[in-house]
Amino acid sequence: MSIYAVDKVCRRVVREPDFVQALRDDPEQALRAAQPPLTDEERALLLAGDVGRLGRMGASFFLLHQLGRFELFGLTLPEYAARIRAEYAAERRAL
Amino acid sequence: MAEIVGALGVPHNPFVALALARGEDSVSEARRLYDALASELRAMNPDTIVIVTTDHYNVFFEVSVPIFSIGVAERAAGPCDYPQLPRVDVALDAELAREIQASVVAEDFDVGASRELELDHTITAPLCSMLGTVDVALVPLFVSGSLHPLPRARRCFALGRAVRRAIERSPLARRVVVVGSGAFSFEVGGPRMSEDSHVGVPDPAWAAHVTELLAAGDFERVVAEATPAQLEAAGNASGELLDWLVMLGTFDARPPTFIEAQPAEGHAYAAWRLGV
Repeated sequence: MSIYAVDKVCRRVVREPDFVQALRDDPEQALRAAQPPLTDEERALLLAGDVGRLGRMGASFFLLHQLGRFELFGLTLPEYAARIRAEYAAERRAL
Repeated sequence: MAEIVGALGVPHNPFVALALARGEDSVSEARRLYDALASELRAMNPDTIVIVTTDHYNVFFEVSVPIFSIGVAERAAGPCDYPQLPRVDVALDAELAREIQASVVAEDFDVGASRELELDHTITAPLCSMLGTVDVALVPLFVSGSLHPLPRARRCFALGRAVRRAIERSPLARRVVVVGSGAFSFEVGGPRMSEDSHVGVPDPAWAAHVTELLAAGDFERVVAEATPAQLEAAGNASGELLDWLVMLGTFDARPPTFIEAQPAEGHAYAAWRLGV
């Protein structure tokens, strides 16, 4: 499965309040029910809020940052930003 | 006879729009600039606003992300993505929208039709920030400026030309203003964000350069220089310049009536009164 499944989770977060609530109540179960299915790795990375790695795998940053905006998986917008900056520290130094 | 009586270029940062809606002092500069454009817009006195924008993964996602599509529904409401922002339920000018679609498709521009759609903040935020609400009929015209592959700059500019011909051919009595919505250099959530935010302006020099070219009325150079590589270098939201290019294609190139950049924000505010 492509990273599309992760993009779709992030997009649904913006548009479906019930889905956001389900992700707060039982994140693992809500992610297991997502369609198209996430891979085990994608689900684990989402649950860990590992947005840096998900970005590396090709997830849309535009969509990914919504996880910070909606404060899911232990993220806030500042925490989201810190994790992206940490993951991409080498590239940022080269800019 | 429908006629294009003016054009605007606007940014649509939702956090700025929220602060404006709350009357916060931190955005007094944006208040002044949106107010300046609002005076221009009122002077243009439009019946219909054609607003060219990049859908932010709201209208189009699962089934298809069209390179171009035009909203032909009778009404649309929003914003669907930032519920804290002022909400509007707006009449669309479906009659003109259908004429535009038919005309540009006949000219080989493959523009789809959206018969049911929501509005996202890229449409409602700039209009509400200028006008307080939306009391003019809209024609939303979508350009795929986020999800690669993006359409080429020249194609977008040419689409603007075709939209102009469609409007000028229309027997409908309409004063039309065309609005391009978006930034020139902007990164949302990606590695080129600033040190203190989840957004950033990776190429402020490009944003300043585009603003200078627009101020000089040199649309052709903007088109020529807005290469895929340049847009990529300017950030993951910089494809929104394509929305401006469609707008710029709808009238003869000329210096604007008003233009002012916010270089640190990667965008500009501009108006062209076309004197009808």
